[in-house]
Amino acid sequence: MSIRQGLLALLAQEPMYGARLRSEFEDRTGGTWPLNVGQVYTTLTRLERDGLVEVSGRPDAEGRIAYRLTDAGRAEVTRWWSTPVDRDSTPRDELAIKLALAVTVPGVDVQRVVQTQRTATLRHLQDLTRLKSRNDPAGVPRHELAWQLVLENLVYAAEGEVRWLDHVEASLARAAVGRREETRQRDVREADRGDGADASAEGHPGTSEGGREAHGIPATSRRRRR
Amino acid sequence: MSASAGAPLLELIRVSRVHGEGATEVHALTDVSLQVGVGELVAVMGPSGSGKSTLLNLAGGLDRPTTGQVRIDGRDVAGLSHRGLAELRRRKVGFVFQDLNLIPSLTAAENAALPLELDGVGVRQARASALESLGSVGVAELADRFPEEMSGGQQQRVAIARALVGERRLVLADEPTGALDSHTGESVLRVLRARCDEGASGLLVTHEARHAAWADRVVFLRDGVVVDTTGAPPAAEELLDHPSGV
Ligand SMILES: Nc1ncnc2c1ncn2[C@@H]1O[C@H](COP(=O)(O)OP(=O)(O)OP(=O)(O)O)[C@@H](O)[C@H]1O
Ligand SMILES: [Mg+2]
Repeated sequence: MSIRQGLLALLAQEPMYGARLRSEFEDRTGGTWPLNVGQVYTTLTRLERDGLVEVSGRPDAEGRIAYRLTDAGRAEVTRWWSTPVDRDSTPRDELAIKLALAVTVPGVDVQRVVQTQRTATLRHLQDLTRLKSRNDPAGVPRHELAWQLVLENLVYAAEGEVRWLDHVEASLARAAVGRREETRQRDVREADRGDGADASAEGHPGTSEGGREAHGIPATSRRRRR
Repeated sequence: MSASAGAPLLELIRVSRVHGEGATEVHALTDVSLQVGVGELVAVMGPSGSGKSTLLNLAGGLDRPTTGQVRIDGRDVAGLSHRGLAELRRRKVGFVFQDLNLIPSLTAAENAALPLELDGVGVRQARASALESLGSVGVAELADRFPEEMSGGQQQRVAIARALVGERRLVLADEPTGALDSHTGESVLRVLRARCDEGASGLLVTHEARHAAWADRVVFLRDGVVVDTTGAPPAAEELLDHPSGV
């Protein structure tokens, strides 16, 4: 269940209260999966009941309650990252949500998440192919043809998933090269100016500090780790 | 599909391959171990430059490992003379190269018959086997055409027919479906699968998941290292030993 898992993954980063969890989730998934605050709070209540989260400290000045992970909650997050998305029991969107969170929550081995999923999807594809290989593609009766076409539909979907995972991996690799290059150019510029000590004062491109301040959290404490 | 009861037909034991030296050193493959049993088809997937072709060349004795051992049919490739190795390749191993390697001055049938003729099989017998092999990949009617008179996909199928001709026991194929449409690509995989079900061993490099899925096992390479495989899922006890799964 991806809202549940998604909130846990976000809380692994730091304690948050409901409204912020909601906006962080939407930020990171590009607003593709809007949540309402009610959903977030009922989910938090269930997570608390199940012993995966607990209240963190006292309510703030505006009465907002922050939640943090328990040890069991942390174990659940680790389990989620290391287990492929199960295609039978979850909405297909879970994979996309999972990867969107994996690339933004610090400390997640995204390559590993990608590979775990890829292996699982290939296994699924092998199962489908075994079913397919029982029939001869030429000269099958109508109802068998229909079944073949349904199988092919599943094969194309699984294949599409693998190609998307390849794309995710390639994009990550390119982004890593880009970041290295950015750092290199900045270092060169600073070496030129001879004031390398000031580097950390520069804003980081690509993070919307304004939006973060709106949630009442100082931008500096939330800068992405590298 | 493939319980490999006896010794594996192909075995790579902690194989590494380093190209060049010093500053230009490239670790194309690092500490790779892999077995392909009799009747087994194994697929290799991975991004460009991850070492797939290097692996295939080593598996076929076309290249030698920097460290580690390659054994074909129980024999260490490093221990063979040039002649012994050439003979092993000719008799037992069929290749489909990434760049096909058809000989332009020979017809499709002559290309497909070549491995047998080099091995001393009579012309008539070799041609009969070549026609059969061309037929199995659906290009029997092209037997007397030259490579330049065929489309890319047709040339590809001729190259596959050549790799499968006669009694090859080990088939090594590098992107054999590259220029083929989905139906033709699939029919090639069906042929390869059938060969393995009849007792050949196959190692297939492909970037297409739907083709890799015909294999008994899919091995994933990245930066010259095996990062995962779809081998039998871990037994329940193993999962209990490592509850976190990582
Ligand atoms: N003869 C060589 N000399 C130096 N480096 C080499 C040589 N052959 C291969 N390499 C390097 O070894 C690495 C692995 O190459 P390889 O051809 O095995 O990759 P591949 O996985 O087959 O890629 P592709 O999918 O593009 O065919 C690459 O970095 C390549 O540049
Ligand atoms: Mg290659």
